[in-house]
Amino acid sequence: MIMARMTLALLVVAGLATGLARAEESGTALKAVEIKGEPFRDAERIGSLKAGNKVEILKRQAGWFQIKSANGSGWVRMLSIRRGEARKRTVDAEGILGLASGRAGTGRVVATTGIRGLSEEDLKTAKFNEKELKKTESFAVTAREAQEFAAQGKLAAQKVEYLPVPKAGKEKRWWWPQ
Amino acid sequence: MKKCLCVAIVAFLFLGGAAHAVDLWQRLKKAIEPKEEQKSGTDQTPSKLTEGLDVSGVSSALIFSQEEETAIGRQAAGNLLGAAPLVNDAKLQKYVNSVGRWVASQSERPDLKWHFGVIDSDDINAFAAPGGYIFVTKGLYRVLQSESDLAGVLAHEVGHVINKHHLKILQQTWLLDTGGKILAEKFDQYDIIKRLIGDGAEIFARALDKNAEYEADRVAVVLSARAGYDPFGLPTVLQDIGHVSRDDSSIRLLFKTHPHPDDRLAQLDQAVGQRLDGVKGQTLEKRLYRPRW
Repeated sequence: MIMARMTLALLVVAGLATGLARAEESGTALKAVEIKGEPFRDAERIGSLKAGNKVEILKRQAGWFQIKSANGSGWVRMLSIRRGEARKRTVDAEGILGLASGRAGTGRVVATTGIRGLSEEDLKTAKFNEKELKKTESFAVTAREAQEFAAQGKLAAQKVEYLPVPKAGKEKRWWWPQ
Repeated sequence: MKKCLCVAIVAFLFLGGAAHAVDLWQRLKKAIEPKEEQKSGTDQTPSKLTEGLDVSGVSSALIFSQEEETAIGRQAAGNLLGAAPLVNDAKLQKYVNSVGRWVASQSERPDLKWHFGVIDSDDINAFAAPGGYIFVTKGLYRVLQSESDLAGVLAHEVGHVINKHHLKILQQTWLLDTGGKILAEKFDQYDIIKRLIGDGAEIFARALDKNAEYEADRVAVVLSARAGYDPFGLPTVLQDIGHVSRDDSSIRLLFKTHPHPDDRLAQLDQAVGQRLDGVKGQTLEKRLYRPRW
């Protein structure tokens, strides 16, 4: 128990340190994209990124990241950026720590004792567990209860159309060895 | 593997009661007949047909009733829970059901009996079974930073359920591959029940076609937005798990069964474009239930 606490404490410290270190988080452009002066479609264009260009991510606002880069500082659409470096990082060979945040400005504390994975083999050999299933079903929330829950969070339902299927584009993945 | 699926699906048929099973048996038979003709006319190999089936836009009618769908999902969910039980935290489970149910209410299947749960595994993954049984792992939950992140993840799984992706896979595998054989060999129902041993939650270890995943991603941002959340919860989580190395054991299965997060972001980017520019929503970072694991 004491050991566990100590480990946790250490992880907290490590987490905070990571959080600070990540206050300006790195990212990579997934495609050519415009840098805007403000997080709006019609905002002034102040530069552009090419696929693979590195950026520093300062924060997110709706669908936009505020970034700094060699090509200019401003706002780019978040979906055209991948956070972090190109895929180098191995969190842990055994998956012990899950993964660290990497989210701008947030530290993450992950303390784990026993590691329980869920491999393909585990799934194949799984045996029906009636007790846990009934337990799952006992936590069900009705539509009305969900509505109240939403109201408490001031979540207002709104009408949004489904998105169209994008035209099949053969985008080449520059960051991944073919 | 295919046999396994077949056994599983046949097994499911009997869960809903013998009368339904016979009824469904007739429907399965009917559904197979035209396929048989087609097969004799062409030189198709069933195993190839079932590999990476694109179920996102499949037109072939589903023969399962909603009741049967739920029975199938219930069996699959129970099997998954045999591999990893629920996290023992009633508040967490209730919370996840509240968020999930609210998101699911924005879909075209608001009347399904939706169930959500966090299962005790350090793997980073989430699962959907037919009929509305949805699970996220503890490992994935730990990645979340806001309620809108959770909503996005659950909404992706809701997308699989409302589009019946797994159900289509089950049916097609059965019809194309093993269904005909079974009927030809005339197993009686008792034989099939006897084969109901395997349990197994293999359905969750199986990759859907990548288009089905992209479709679920598109559904996820829209349902999140409809529910009043910041629509970018799912992309945010995708960016988080994109950090994890492919070799990390905790994410191996997720990466094996899904396109890489970068590809999913790129696809979403194409679909979203400027369409969500005017949409406002909440992240509710403070309301995210943070368990002391």
